[in-house]
Amino acid sequence: MLAAAAARAGAGAADHDEPGPDDGPVYFGFVKDVSGVPVRDARVTASHKDVTFMVKTNATGGYRFNVFAKNVNPGDVTISCAKPGYRQARVFRYPLPRDKPVKSVETECRLQREKS
Amino acid sequence: MPPAAREVLALLACLAAGLAASQDFPLRYGQAPSAYKSVYSLPIAVAQRQGFFRANGVDFRTVVPLDGGADRMVAGLHDGTFDLMHIATTFLVRANLAGSDVVAIAAEFGNPIYSLIARADVSRIEALKGRTVGLADPGGSITYSMRKLFARHGLGESDLQVKTIEGTPSRLGCLRRGECDAVPLGQPQDMLAVAEGFRLLGRSSDVVPPYVYTVTAARRSWAAANSDAVVRYVRALAAAQHAIADPNMRPAIAATLAEATDVPLAIAESVLRLYAQPGPRVIPAQAEIDPQGIRQVIAFMSEAGQLKGPMPDAARFIDLRYLQAAGIR
Repeated sequence: MLAAAAARAGAGAADHDEPGPDDGPVYFGFVKDVSGVPVRDARVTASHKDVTFMVKTNATGGYRFNVFAKNVNPGDVTISCAKPGYRQARVFRYPLPRDKPVKSVETECRLQREKS
Repeated sequence: MPPAAREVLALLACLAAGLAASQDFPLRYGQAPSAYKSVYSLPIAVAQRQGFFRANGVDFRTVVPLDGGADRMVAGLHDGTFDLMHIATTFLVRANLAGSDVVAIAAEFGNPIYSLIARADVSRIEALKGRTVGLADPGGSITYSMRKLFARHGLGESDLQVKTIEGTPSRLGCLRRGECDAVPLGQPQDMLAVAEGFRLLGRSSDVVPPYVYTVTAARRSWAAANSDAVVRYVRALAAAQHAIADPNMRPAIAATLAEATDVPLAIAESVLRLYAQPGPRVIPAQAEIDPQGIRQVIAFMSEAGQLKGPMPDAARFIDLRYLQAAGIR
């Protein structure tokens, strides 16, 4: 218990560790354009109450958050995406299992290029 | 314009002003992943849990860029990702000198306590000669203070096998795996380590003069254009720091710390007892910035070889107008 707590508790502002796994499900997915092509370096945010976490997508448009505790209702976590020159077109969350614990939450975010 | 129309416009203006006054100022506060869930998030967590932001008309949101080090965080101020940010003073000085107009508008933590924790069989600092020590960023204040501590006990860096390990949790991991003989740890991990049988050899606070460790920073230009919101934020932060120092609030603050950092309540209570001991304040009384504490940081950086030429004036890195407007000296 103490070891897990120590691993999760962050360090000083002069240090650079990400928050560790927080027991809740992994929130992951892909950002694509409207034709289905992955979008890299898009900013993805996961918001719950008064906290917003941010990551950028990788070369395959993928992202991953492992920051919410298990007592956070996935329905209360909002995923959104953005990139300069695009607007968010659609966010789709894949259905969660009803009869077993939620280990992961997959959400796809689609961007549409803005007309110049 | 007919008089009646002027009266309607005047009324609408009054209504708009009243509506604006009743609405909260939205503020996005950037926090590095290393600070989120650390003890350094305590003043903000208290301000949120105790409702100090709401009471001061601030709609407060924390933004944590998971891919962010200090440079990324400062970039977040410039690209509008957030309005204010938590930052170690050394990094603020570095960013400002590199051309950013980022300045400190309030102090969050001063005089941090880093504990030098060693394996149980190492009973004194002198016994670390030739052993492996895990230190933080070579240019940061943690490593600076540890060098001072080693020097006081006759050890230079050449007497030690030094590994650079970022982050208290990672350094604790090195100690637990037996790959480090000693490491500096912040709270609460130092207390967890001692509870596990590791040994406390010394503390940074024994050897370094008072300084300003972390601050709330903003772009000078943005703060000037949003001074009302900044003053409200400063009042809320000061209220939180006042509450942390209030013995009557200790149970509530300990509960907030335990929740914010995921540690047992007993450990959180120990941390607060440590911070309440006589000596330089770990947490400012009311967000005040001591220019001498900024000068001390500049001196650390100069001594560590991070600053070239004459030392810059501390005034360059702070903007005290918002503290003064909030009634804080």
